[in-house]
Formats: sequence, C-alpha cells, structure tokens
Amino acid sequence: MVKDTFRGGVHPAGHKELSRDVPLREFLPTGEMIFPLSQHIGKPAKPIVKKGDEVLVGQRIAEADGFVSAHVISSCSGKVKAIEKRRVLTGALADCIVIDNDGQFTPIQDFTRREDTSKLTGDELIQRVQDAAIVGLGGAGFPTHVKLKPKNPDAIRFVIANGAECEPYLTCNDQLMRTQAAAIVEGLELVLRLFPKAEGVIAIERNKPEAIAAMDKAASGKAKIRVLAMKTKYPQGGERSLIQAIAGEDFPISMLPADVGCIVDNVGTLYAIQRACAYGEPLYAHTLTLTGEAAANPGNWIVRDGTLFSELLEHAGGVKSGVTLKKALIGGPMMGIALGSLDVPIQKQNNGLTLLDEDPNEIAEAKMTACLRCGRCATVCPMGLLPQPMAEAAIAGDYERFEQRLYGLECIQCGSCTYVCPAKRPLMQTFKQAKSEIQARKRAEAGGKK
Amino acid sequence: MNNMLNISSSPHTRDKWSTNFIMRAVLVALLPATVVGVINYGLHALLVVLLSVASAVLSEFAFDKLCHKPDTWKDGSAAVTGLLLALCLSPRVPLPLPVLGSMFAILVAKCCFGGLGKNFINPALAGRCFLLISFGSAMSSYAVVDGVTTATPVATLLAGGSVDVTKMFLGTTTGVIGSSALALLVGGLFLWAMDIIHGQICFSVLGMFTLVIGLFGGQGFKPEYLLAHISGGGVVMAAFFMATDYVTSPATPLGQMVYGMLIGLLGGIFRLFSGTADSFSYCVITGNLFVPLIDHYIISKPFAYRRSAKRGRDAGPGAPFYKRIPRPVIVLTAIALIAGLALSGVYAMTKQTIDDQKRAAQAASYLVVCPEADHFDTDEALDKAIAGLNGAVYGTDFGRVTINEAFVAKDAEGNTVGHAISVTTGDGFDGNVTLAVGLNAEGAVNGIAFTELHETPGMGMRVDEDEFKGQFSGKSVSRFTLNKAGGSTEDDQIDTVSGASTTSGAVVNAVNAALDFYNNTVKGGA
Repeated sequence: MVKDTFRGGVHPAGHKELSRDVPLREFLPTGEMIFPLSQHIGKPAKPIVKKGDEVLVGQRIAEADGFVSAHVISSCSGKVKAIEKRRVLTGALADCIVIDNDGQFTPIQDFTRREDTSKLTGDELIQRVQDAAIVGLGGAGFPTHVKLKPKNPDAIRFVIANGAECEPYLTCNDQLMRTQAAAIVEGLELVLRLFPKAEGVIAIERNKPEAIAAMDKAASGKAKIRVLAMKTKYPQGGERSLIQAIAGEDFPISMLPADVGCIVDNVGTLYAIQRACAYGEPLYAHTLTLTGEAAANPGNWIVRDGTLFSELLEHAGGVKSGVTLKKALIGGPMMGIALGSLDVPIQKQNNGLTLLDEDPNEIAEAKMTACLRCGRCATVCPMGLLPQPMAEAAIAGDYERFEQRLYGLECIQCGSCTYVCPAKRPLMQTFKQAKSEIQARKRAEAGGKK
Repeated sequence: MNNMLNISSSPHTRDKWSTNFIMRAVLVALLPATVVGVINYGLHALLVVLLSVASAVLSEFAFDKLCHKPDTWKDGSAAVTGLLLALCLSPRVPLPLPVLGSMFAILVAKCCFGGLGKNFINPALAGRCFLLISFGSAMSSYAVVDGVTTATPVATLLAGGSVDVTKMFLGTTTGVIGSSALALLVGGLFLWAMDIIHGQICFSVLGMFTLVIGLFGGQGFKPEYLLAHISGGGVVMAAFFMATDYVTSPATPLGQMVYGMLIGLLGGIFRLFSGTADSFSYCVITGNLFVPLIDHYIISKPFAYRRSAKRGRDAGPGAPFYKRIPRPVIVLTAIALIAGLALSGVYAMTKQTIDDQKRAAQAASYLVVCPEADHFDTDEALDKAIAGLNGAVYGTDFGRVTINEAFVAKDAEGNTVGHAISVTTGDGFDGNVTLAVGLNAEGAVNGIAFTELHETPGMGMRVDEDEFKGQFSGKSVSRFTLNKAGGSTEDDQIDTVSGASTTSGAVVNAVNAALDFYNNTVKGGA
C-alpha cells in the first residue's frame, strides 16, 4: 500500500533552479563564533568550558541536560571569549558560548581515519549519536538519539530517509545525496541495525532525478533498502506526510511516528550518523543553501555551526546589486523564519538562507478580502482539518470549538492553507496564535491545580 | 547589515489565485450563456445584462462609499451577482426590473448582511425572487422566438406535451436570457475542471433531481424525458452556478453532498408538484437556509481521527473490504432510499384522491355552466382537436391559455343541449386560473365556473363573484372585450373587477379562447 504521496498539499513555485546544480563548497569563517546553548528541542545544554579556555574543532563545550537534550560542539579552534546573552535567529537574546576563532580549525582528533563499524552494538551506536550531538537536520532539531530509542524497536516497520526536500528554493539535500549517496545509505544501514523488522525507504521528490539515480546506485544490492520517488508536492517532506504515503498511517499529534511503526530521519542526519559512527566526527558542520532572488550567487554550502549568517552572505557575494533585500528567511518560504537581522549564528538545523527582494506577505495583506468560504484550504490540508471554520472559531475566541470540535491542535503549521487562500487571509498565523493561547491556558490551569 | 528586514510569520509565498481571479473565472464561465442569450433574444437582452451588471457594481460602490467600507466593489463579486441575475430574467422584462433586482440583491441580500462572505442566501437568487414576487406577470412574460409566443418548455412538459430538447440545449426557445443548457453546461464544466466549484454540489443536485423526476415523473427513466427536464427551468444554472456559490454552501464535502441532494430533491418535488417553472430559485434558497445547520452538525474529522485511520491503527491493515466503504456513502444512500420511499408512498396514497377530487370539481363545474344537462359525452371531433393542440398555448391572442377538455352536454333523452369547455390561463396574478365555460345549443354562453383560482382575496378573487361572472351569461358573441371604464352596455363588453384588471383580463381571454375553440371545432367543424 505504499503510495507516492499524501492527501492534500500544494504546489508552490520551486525556484530550485537557482542553486540546484551548484556543487557544495565549504565555508571557513574567520570572525567570532557564537554557539547558542539551545539549538534543539528539549532542555538547553550546560556549558562545560569557561571564559579563556582553549577549545578545538569537535570539542564538546556544553553538556546535554537530561536525556531529551543535546550537547554543543565547537566548530572552530580558539579561545572562549564569553558566555553571555546574544541575539539568536528568533530575535530573542539567549545564552551563548562565544569563541574567538583562531582560523586554524585544529581538530581535537583525526576525523579522516575510518573505523570499523561492524562490531558496534545498538547501545554503542546510540551513544555515538548522542556524543556527536546529532539532532534532526530537517528543521525541527529533535535530538536523534531519543528518536532512535522507541519503546518497542521490534514494532518499527519503516525507517524513512527523508530526502524529499519539498521546501521551495532549498537544494542542499539534493547536492548532498548526489555527492554522498554511499555514506547516506551506510547511515541508514546503521540505523536499520537497531530495528530488525524494519525496511529502509529513501524518499525523494521526483524533481531531483540526479539524486534519485545516485541513491538508487548506492542502494542497489541492499536487500532491506529501496529508493522511493515521490510526487513533487509540499509538504511531502513533512514527517506525517511521508508516513501517510509510505505506511498509510494517519495519527494524532499526541502520537509519535514510532507509535505507528515509523522512524523518519533527514538524509543530512543519516549522513551525520555515518560520520559519527565511522569517523568519530561529531556534528559541527552541515549543508545549507544560500539562495533567493536577492542573492548575488545562489549556491550550496557546507557551513560550520556558530558562523554568522552575515559573514556567510558576505563571502558568498552578498546581495545582488541593484536589488533591495526585503526579507531573509531561515529555511524556505513555506516554513522559514524571517530574520530581523543577519547578525545571528547559524544553528545545526538551519538548512537554508533565502533572500527575497519582495515581501509576499506584504503584497498579500494588501490584496486581502473577506473569506469566500471557497474551501480550498480544506482540500489542501494534509491533516484533513477544516481551516476555514477553524479560523472563524479562533477569531471569535471560541477556543473550545477550535480544539474540541475542529481539532485545531492537530495543525502542523505547514502553511498550505494560507498559501492557497484566494482571499489572502492569514489562516495559519491565526491558528498559531490560537494554539499558543490554548496551550498557555492549559499550563495556567495545570499550575493552578498544583 | 541593516535592521530593516521585514518580519512576519511563514508562509512567505502565496498562490496566484485571488478573489478577483475566481470572480473573473466565473464571469468567463457565464460568457457563453450570455452570448447565446443575446444572439437568441436580441438587443433588449443585451441591455438587461448590461444594466443588471452595472447596477450591481454601482450599488456596491455606493454602499462602500456611503458606509465608509473598503472598496469591495472591485473584487468582481458584484459583477457576478449582476450577471447571474440578468441570465435568470426574461429577455422581455421592462428595463427598470434588472436595476431594481440588482439593487435588492446587492444592497439588501448582500451588503446589509455584512458583504462578501457573510450573506446567508444567494444574492442573485434573492434579487430574482424579489422581482418574481413583486412583478409576477412581467417576470413570467417570456420571450418570443420566431414571432410566436409559446409556453416555456417546462410548462409544456408539465402539461404533458412534448418539447424539443435540441432547442432547449441551444436556448432557441421560450425562456430566460440564460436558457441555453448547453452554454451553461460548458461554463459549469469549465469551472469544475478548474476546481473552482465543488463537484459534490453540482452532481448531487443533478443526480437527485434526475432520480426524483425518473421515479415520479410518470415517464420512468426515459433519457429524452429526463434530459428535457434537466435542460429546462434553470436546473443547469442552479446546479453549476447558484448552488455552488461558496458563501451559501456548506464547508465540508459531505455537507456539500447533503446540501446538493436536498436541493435536487426539492427541485424534483417542486418541479413535478408545484406547477411553476421558477421553482428552482426557491429550492436553492431553501438549501441556503439549511447551510448553517448542515455546517453545525457535519464537521469532518481530521484524517487521524477518522474511523478508517483508527481501525487501521487498532486492527492493522487488511480490514475486510466492506468495512472500508466510507460511512458517509452508506449513510447518504440510506437517506436517499428512505426519502425516496417515503415520497413515493405519500404520492401513491394521495394521487388517486387528488385526481378524484379534481375530476369531481371539474364535473360539478360543468353542471353549473350547463344546468340543462343530464350527462356529458365525449366527442371524437373535440377530442381530436384537443389532442392536436398537444398542450400548447392556444391561438396567438389569448395569452397563455390552454384548452384542457371539452364535452357535449346531453339531456336525459340524449339530445345535445350545449357544450362544456375547460380552459386554463397562465396569466393570472398568482399561478394558473382554470375555468369551465358552458355554451347552450345555440352557442350562447350559459355561464362560467372556476375550478382553480388562487388570486388575491378581495381583489382578483372577486372574479368568482356573480357581479363579474354573471356578465358572460346569456351573451351570444364571438369575442368579449374588457371594459376598464365600467358601466358597459354592449353585449360583448365585460366590466373589469376594479383593482384586478390582470385577473379580469386573463379570464376574458380564457373565455374568448374557449369561444374561439368552440367556433372552430363545433360550429366550423360541423
């Protein structure tokens, strides 16, 4: 019952031609490097270095606090300059370790020497992943070692390597798959060791034929792994969309993929797992697409965590001349976060910097009309929700109807409804507010009971 | 770097579709029907269309300005309302009507309820019904094609006559400006293919309507018969353009199916049993009124909470096939079956009684108008002449009159003592007027008696009083004329009932038709 897509979804313009064929290049920054203590979902890490300490590339500088947390790894060599509040990509001030980069990039050990991975046990493997501070590189940044330890490993039917890359503009996973296919397959094989009953599925949208061919070649002869060409449709690369298509499962937001027998990992994450297990190299660099109509030289980069976006942009040729930079997005236009300033550090899960010469939201706002009740939002919702009545309820402040009758909390905030709305209404934004309001009330109630 | 970058929530991209785009697409879809209408009915039709669209847009513009609202007149929805209204009007309507209708549609039905997206009934239909109620006869005076006034195809169908489906498809027949079923279908299917209208609505309207007509129309599922019903009376217009109006239709696919079936069901019932050709407007409006109720109770659950998903998680894949049939399909089929059975039961139980009563009333009326008669016999020549009319409008200068039946009155010895003729006119103020005209053996009028009369009490209803009715008695003329001034002295003059000249005129025309029929078949034929 494996299908090539989910129900609903939208077809935003891809814009991938800007950067899809530009090979990955490594960028080594020279300026100071900033490492936020919370780059993942879960508790912030605790610093284990202090001001003035010398650090090397790959060195752990902050320790995970508890199981659902991740270490912080230095991506440069140099001296700890400060541990203080710095502005991060959300626009807020957050605790960061600031390192004076000496520009030498001296590694803490030799990360080019290959180790034998065949004797690694499951627990050792998960420990390696945890030590390497690997988080989901698809965007959410959920600590990977937690994901690899479900309650019942035997119930896992599919390990899905997510190479869909459905977000417009982004092409770094495409380039990674083209160039590191064998390593990704090896990473997938390592994960499959943990789940004896599972099948490995590498899911790639059809708009990446070179990547599909490369992965096909790398996976040929592997009995438990196959490559699945998926329909090009947003949000194809969403965890739930992939599980819907591949395992045929729809499950509420209260359940995890593992509860329906699935583990989904981004291809970048699998590559990091392979690096960690075969070379002992922790995750301190990853791929990122710098693109957009306002970028002078769109391309794909291997960037180090902690690098300022502004430094990367300057190195990559800056803003296209004659064009005003209106909006800078971390990620792509569908789910990306708009940056107020580019002087913030790159975090592990950031996979794109999209520079736009116009603000589509500003344009949309000017064209907004009353809701027509056309129902296009409901036909594209990948969760099968009813965005139009949800918005009505949310605007009326009827949170009970929003949550109980319309299942508003099931929204995955993919933005498809807002994208298609002909009346240009900010549907998803309304849901975001309603959801946080409901959650705040719940927290207040729970607090009141104590 | 500067700090002037725009910040807002994702998504940071939008589809090309806008409200304006959708409205323009609907206008384009209505274009074939408009063009065909103008070609068939001429310049006056074009004027009606232009006036209707212009006054709709102007009304919204005026409302925006007067109430200091944003400029919603630009979004194209007012133009759509105006065009839809125009296409539902007779090409012969006086020009103030489209203006009034559009104003009512936009100002009352739409703007007063909050404008686009807030109106609870379809504005165009509200405008049309407003006109139907206020200007009944002007609204139902339809076009002349090839210089001949005929009944609308639906009226003919209902009277048991046969119609030319090809003409109905092309719109070269009596009807509203947008009467070409083919042109409307082309536009409707275009919108459906574009994914602008929901197939659940239009196809359930058509499906349910066809089912009701097939089951209760008395001619079974004969394709030409069903097609004739579908092509006439605005069914295609209602299914593809009226019922599918976003604002006044339900939000969920299941709700849309229920809504469509409701309209189709009502449409079928109204068509067969109400006797008016305009019934579909009322059906869609009735459907509109049910939308809040449907939307309140029919809320689709997200995929993860639907039965199939839960069952999949609980029992694993491989559930038997019958359990995978979506529940809505089963429920809807059951509802349709129950509704159909109930309807056919009631119909079967009451049909005989209704027919008997009608026949008794008719028979009684013949005795009233031919008091010397002992019994009434059929006559081959009369029956042949009536069959030859095929339910069509009789003659060219009696308005919309049809001859129902005619009998020879005999006394107890079997001598002919006169004739009784039943005629129906569609020109009454409110629906059909049926009356019996009795003539004595010499051809003088004995009297008239009404068997169907729904006119305004105290006004039109007064034609049934002797003061009016009695004027016909004992007169031997070939034709009566209506004397609006009153105080008639001549035999052939009939004083109008004051304040009810429409009804009076219709009755005089009906009697004249009966006389004409009598003179042609009994006197001329004999």
